[in-house]
Amino acid sequence: MAASSIAKGQVDLIDFIEWPSVECLNENSSHTFANALKQGYRDDEGLCLESDTDEELLIYLPFTQVIKLHTIVIMGPPDEGPKTVKLFANRESMGFSNVSEFPPSDVVTLSPENLQGKPVPLKFVKFQNVRSLTIFIEDNQGSTDVTKVSKFAFYGSTVETTNMKELKKINPEEQ
Amino acid sequence: MVLEATMICIDNSEWMRNGDYVPSRFQSQAEAVHLICGAKTQSNPESTVGILTMAGKGVRVLVTPTTDLGKIFSCMHGVEIGGDANVTAAVQVAQLALKHRQNKHQRQRVIVFAGSPIAADKKLLETVGKKLKKNSVSLDIVNFGEEDDGKSEKLDSFLAAVNSNDSSHIVHVPTGSNVLSDVLLSSPIFTGDGEGGSGFAASAAAGAAAAAAAAGGGSGFEFGVDPNLDPELALALRVSMEEERARQEANAKRAAEAATAAASQDTQARSAADVTMSEVDGGDSGVGIGTDSMDDENSLLKQALAMSMSDGAAASGSLTDGDTNMAETAEDELAYALRISMQGPAATTAEGSSDMNKVLGDQSFVSSILSSLPGVDPNDPSVRDVLASLQSESEHKAEEKDKETDS
Repeated sequence: MAASSIAKGQVDLIDFIEWPSVECLNENSSHTFANALKQGYRDDEGLCLESDTDEELLIYLPFTQVIKLHTIVIMGPPDEGPKTVKLFANRESMGFSNVSEFPPSDVVTLSPENLQGKPVPLKFVKFQNVRSLTIFIEDNQGSTDVTKVSKFAFYGSTVETTNMKELKKINPEEQ
Repeated sequence: MVLEATMICIDNSEWMRNGDYVPSRFQSQAEAVHLICGAKTQSNPESTVGILTMAGKGVRVLVTPTTDLGKIFSCMHGVEIGGDANVTAAVQVAQLALKHRQNKHQRQRVIVFAGSPIAADKKLLETVGKKLKKNSVSLDIVNFGEEDDGKSEKLDSFLAAVNSNDSSHIVHVPTGSNVLSDVLLSSPIFTGDGEGGSGFAASAAAGAAAAAAAAGGGSGFEFGVDPNLDPELALALRVSMEEERARQEANAKRAAEAATAAASQDTQARSAADVTMSEVDGGDSGVGIGTDSMDDENSLLKQALAMSMSDGAAASGSLTDGDTNMAETAEDELAYALRISMQGPAATTAEGSSDMNKVLGDQSFVSSILSSLPGVDPNDPSVRDVLASLQSESEHKAEEKDKETDS
């Protein structure tokens, strides 16, 4: 993956994912989302997130703080890798039954190069105030029954918020 | 300790009026639902349970997933029975209710009680099942009640479509087996997926069971107590159970003896009558009539005699019991005296006596009587000797009679 193609000032948002609340629908229980999302696992090509009953996948990713999402990287095998990916910002409790009810914030059609690691820039304006991201993978390159994703990576920046830890008690003697 | 949101689909179709599960299918289902709700909320305090009905005017959600057991129990009271169950619609509604659960950390589970026939075809069920699986909803099915063609097959394929990672279960509860809730308690629906803390869940379920199912024995463990948790209590319970069992066995034995005694009382009395008759016969050899002169009238007479004698025996029995009621005793005595006076003339009729000899001579009849008596072994050598001597005696008498008639 060419790091240079990531715009300046954008950082990997992996540290801001609220892991306990991450949910992935239609995942194969022996090939879970952790294989494609977590640090270390996602860099292993052999470990994949796989779909179960059909080719669709729905991943819900809440963040620990508000972020701006700029670029996304999705990697997978050439045949079973995802093709049409819909991204929804701040949509809670989505299911397969209502993915078509809401307009997606952005729709990405992945090319084989993208699956090799080429970053996909998103409509940055649509992702300015993201608390949670829902990724809906509609189909895959080879129209097979199983979709495989070996890596997800999200690049963006955090919205400037007050970090309560940095607040210090004012020492009256210093004044 | 699985954090779960559960929707229970209860069957309130007309089929649930059937009484093949005591007290009725619907009541036993309600009991099972209570148990499940208790077990779920106790296994994890944040687990929620909701209830919907599958029949009636349509699928109706009675309670959305909640931790409040009181809410669940109270809603169960107002359920009316009617219509046919629509399993596929119910499961989809349940899935929708689960999707909008407030705590997203909860795993989703649907429990279906299927007591009526399944109208939907296999394909539709599989499609719905796939949908559940896709939304990572687990499914438990309790198959009981109506057993029409292919119902369990349909449910099995329904479950197979949903099942991933063995998180879904089906329990078949055949008619006439144990109480529905008892069967469920030992099933994976209660004990969980064998994950950590399932033992706790089971014992919690058992605790809930002890409260809810006062019917007793309502637990996966023998006495509703995990023997690993409290071995001494378990031992004490087992000992007292054994004692109680022994006592009950003794009681049953006594009752059985009394029953057989009552049943054989008639024959006993008859045999007693036989003895007295044969005694009378001993001093009454003056009149002799061949046994071949027996006819229907004689047999009727014999029957009547035996009946009156059995009455007499019962009366005399109560007499010897030392009944303190004097009036009754006096009455009994009178009756007894009367009977004895009646017995005299009756006994003088020689037909009766020859009957008795014949009866005693019939070895198979005597041995059958003997075997019906408690504590008497017809194969005992001494008994056999007596029988043989009786037989030879009767033969001897017959010879004597022959001689008499000859002379």
